[in-house]
Amino acid sequence: MGPVELLHMSVFSQSFSPCGRFLAAGNNYGEIAVFSLSAALSPDATALSQKPVLTFTAHEGPVFSLLSTDCHLLSAGNGEISCWSWSDLTKKNVKPLWTKRPNFKSSLEIPEINAMVLNTRDNSLVVGGGDNNIHILDLEHGIFKAVLQGHTDYDGAVRMWDSRTGQSVHCVEIYKYESCARPQYGKWISCLTTDSDWMLCGGGPSLSLWHLRSLSPTSIFPLTGCQRQTSFYQDMILAVGEGPSVAHCLLGGEVKAQIPCTPQSLNTLQLNTNSAEHRMLTVGGSSNHIDVFTNLSYRAFSLSF
Amino acid sequence: MSPSLFNFVDAKDKFTASARNALIGKTSKPLVNAFNQFPGHEAEKKTTFDQALRGVLGDQIVEQKANCDEYLSLIYLSIDAVTEGICSATTPFLLLGDVLDCLPLDQCDRIFSFVEKNVSTWKSNSFYTAGKNYLLRMCNDLLRRLSKSQNTVFCGRIQLFLARLFPLSEKSGLNLQSQFNLENITVFNKNEQESTLGLKHTEEKEDGMEVEEGEMGEDDAPAPCSIPIDYNLYRKFWTLQDYFRNPVQCYDKFSWMTFLKFSEETLAVFKSFKLDDMQASKRKLEELRASGEDVYFAKFLTNEKLMDLQLSDSNFRRHILLQYLILFQYLKGQVKFKSSSCVLHDDQSAWIEETTKLVYQLLKEIPPDGDKFATMVEHILNTEENWNGWKNEGCPSFVKERTVDDKPKRPTRKRQAPEDFLGKGPDAKIFMGNDELTRLWNLHHDNMDACKSDSREFMPSLDEFFTEAIEQADPTNMVEDEYKVVRNPNYGWRALRLLSRRSPHFFQPTNQKFKSLADYLDSMVSKLAKELPKDIPSEEIKTGEEDDDDNGDNLLKDSNDSPSIQSKMVTNQQMDDLAAKLGAEWKALASHLEMKAAEMREIETDSEDVDMQAKLLLVAWQDREGAQATVESLVAALNSAGFSQIADCLNEA
Repeated sequence: MGPVELLHMSVFSQSFSPCGRFLAAGNNYGEIAVFSLSAALSPDATALSQKPVLTFTAHEGPVFSLLSTDCHLLSAGNGEISCWSWSDLTKKNVKPLWTKRPNFKSSLEIPEINAMVLNTRDNSLVVGGGDNNIHILDLEHGIFKAVLQGHTDYDGAVRMWDSRTGQSVHCVEIYKYESCARPQYGKWISCLTTDSDWMLCGGGPSLSLWHLRSLSPTSIFPLTGCQRQTSFYQDMILAVGEGPSVAHCLLGGEVKAQIPCTPQSLNTLQLNTNSAEHRMLTVGGSSNHIDVFTNLSYRAFSLSF
Repeated sequence: MSPSLFNFVDAKDKFTASARNALIGKTSKPLVNAFNQFPGHEAEKKTTFDQALRGVLGDQIVEQKANCDEYLSLIYLSIDAVTEGICSATTPFLLLGDVLDCLPLDQCDRIFSFVEKNVSTWKSNSFYTAGKNYLLRMCNDLLRRLSKSQNTVFCGRIQLFLARLFPLSEKSGLNLQSQFNLENITVFNKNEQESTLGLKHTEEKEDGMEVEEGEMGEDDAPAPCSIPIDYNLYRKFWTLQDYFRNPVQCYDKFSWMTFLKFSEETLAVFKSFKLDDMQASKRKLEELRASGEDVYFAKFLTNEKLMDLQLSDSNFRRHILLQYLILFQYLKGQVKFKSSSCVLHDDQSAWIEETTKLVYQLLKEIPPDGDKFATMVEHILNTEENWNGWKNEGCPSFVKERTVDDKPKRPTRKRQAPEDFLGKGPDAKIFMGNDELTRLWNLHHDNMDACKSDSREFMPSLDEFFTEAIEQADPTNMVEDEYKVVRNPNYGWRALRLLSRRSPHFFQPTNQKFKSLADYLDSMVSKLAKELPKDIPSEEIKTGEEDDDDNGDNLLKDSNDSPSIQSKMVTNQQMDDLAAKLGAEWKALASHLEMKAAEMREIETDSEDVDMQAKLLLVAWQDREGAQATVESLVAALNSAGFSQIADCLNEA
């Protein structure tokens, strides 16, 4: 990795290990780096402890999504999903357990996989692909059991699907709501997260908090740029996107603080809830540095590829 | 008869007994009585009395039955005794000193309240000189016994008492050489081995002093660290305290670099970690007030686990930022006792300036009332500059000396000041010392009026100026356009100025649009031609009469310079007549003619005959005045001298 490659590196995804002591991060070169958090947080940490303990190439294309289950790490690359064992990774064994490819209709171009979510109830993996479809993979049997179709390319719609019938139950087009719409940024949605009755979504339109039962926006957050990932944290909302800062917002719609960080724009935000000793917030973006916040209000140090 | 020997022991016993009586009776009468009754020299009795009182106090303390009130009543007695004159002024202080030395601190508190209350007594004339050193020593002893962190209020009270007792410029409380308390070291966990996280702390329980330095003194086994700790920030943050403790380190290059680096990180954290939780801090304040406890920490608590909490506390931040400001003030300031090697480089100064601005900005952002706090801090630091300056000058006294008003009055001037002789002559003439200048200066006695005189009216009248133009406008003259004077731009603008000053036509709005100035002037000229009747008569007559008129005008103009016919020169004949009339009274006239005493003496010596003297006077006056020796001025002088009849004669002549 020469210096030029490091300059052009972007971190797209992160995932904490189930024990909470390791962080896996995926970048645009298709590499995954594993960092040891206990080494980085220890009193005698040096610059070396902020480097990965293991780096390996997982996919050909960028690793857009990483997800951890009880003992596996799932990574999504160019149209393929790989599964790695965390225990193997800690022992620096980089052989994937399996690699699967969803059935894409067209064989000409292979759409990327943008997001993955685990459905623990029926042990399935829900995968969102660049072919505008949602593929559901049954982890037990290892086959793709369903495809949810309905989205058109960047249609700016949020759809709610019934997993049993495979039909879209609700469809909300965020950009059509005047309070949220920002036509200068477009209509596409780049971040979405839910928490019981509430949904946060944003992208082209402003980041807004929606009440799911009534499907109406409750608060709009006045953040500039498109927000790429958001998360609920205690009574706050954390959001990252275009702009070198992490925004702390209150549920009422006001931006409480914007904490500056190293990358010029951020793609991913993760909170380590698996371990109390290593509780931290990490953000990554258009830089080879991943900022670590032990106290949410200031940047403590950075891990780097 | 030789005076009897003073029986010390007897006296002491008697006085002791009377003191005890006095204590019981709570009156100083027995003391006075005993003193007066016992024979002996007053000084001897006084010293014996001192001893007696001290003895009584000593017994009281040894018995340990007495409580503070009894000690205090004894001291009250001693004060009364001093006012009665039966014991020396230092006794109350000695007694106080004894009491404080022998009592534990909680009782000292009560005794000290007594001392505080009576500060006016101590400051009164009879006690002050005797007692101030004793009081100072006593207070310093007390301060040495007290712990600044545990008895902060008591220490404060002692300091305040000293401040009230001594005058403002008293040097005994000063840190004269601006030395630093180098022993004030902030301890924190530098290495991971020293980290107390996870260690059982039974060994620390025994050492009570540990409470001050690092740990909070928990009573149960500490839980393993449950939150991640930013050791990097922790170490850098607390290392800064070492620089605040000993600012002289900052002048060393390497230490400065470290200080710079650590400070920038810390201030960056302060900057990004903004405190805006107004609600929480208000609640905390109310809770504190409700609990009624005042908690002071004289030293910082440096446990790693506290770092997060400390960072989100506004008071803590204010402490640290204030430390920065104080440090910068020292580094930048002129202190007499700084060694010559303590100079800041340019880039150091620049960094300090920048960082000071940042610190003030951060202070303003800290709730509650950040702005007010920042302005208050700035104000205090500014006044501190004054104190620094005062120390540098060697602590001069603040009492202003009353200036002695014994400047001798300056002797009166031998030579008259100009205002005394200028403009005081007859006709308010001003003598410039030179005839020509005098003549020029006296053309008119009031310069402002002279400016207003008609002869200074240089603006021509309309007909004067426009005569030529009107002539030319007349078509019978057949003057070609290009030769018309209105085409001359110089003439044009002067014409405009004149019109604006003299002609109402200038201000009348007109719908006509003039292509050029010349056209406009043409129209104006034609209007004026109609108006001014003088110009209507034919040109032939005009040319003939013009010369005469001009001559007449000229004559008239000349005569403006001499408005009165009477302003003729005084003739010899007139002077002779005048001299004859004046006679011996020429001296009276002399002063009104501005004659100097020397000249008058000269005249007197020159001639015996008074008529001749008068004549000489007039001649001298004429010589001096030259062209100004007019009849008018002479008449004025005569009138002011009281010779109005003579003046009238002169006038008629």
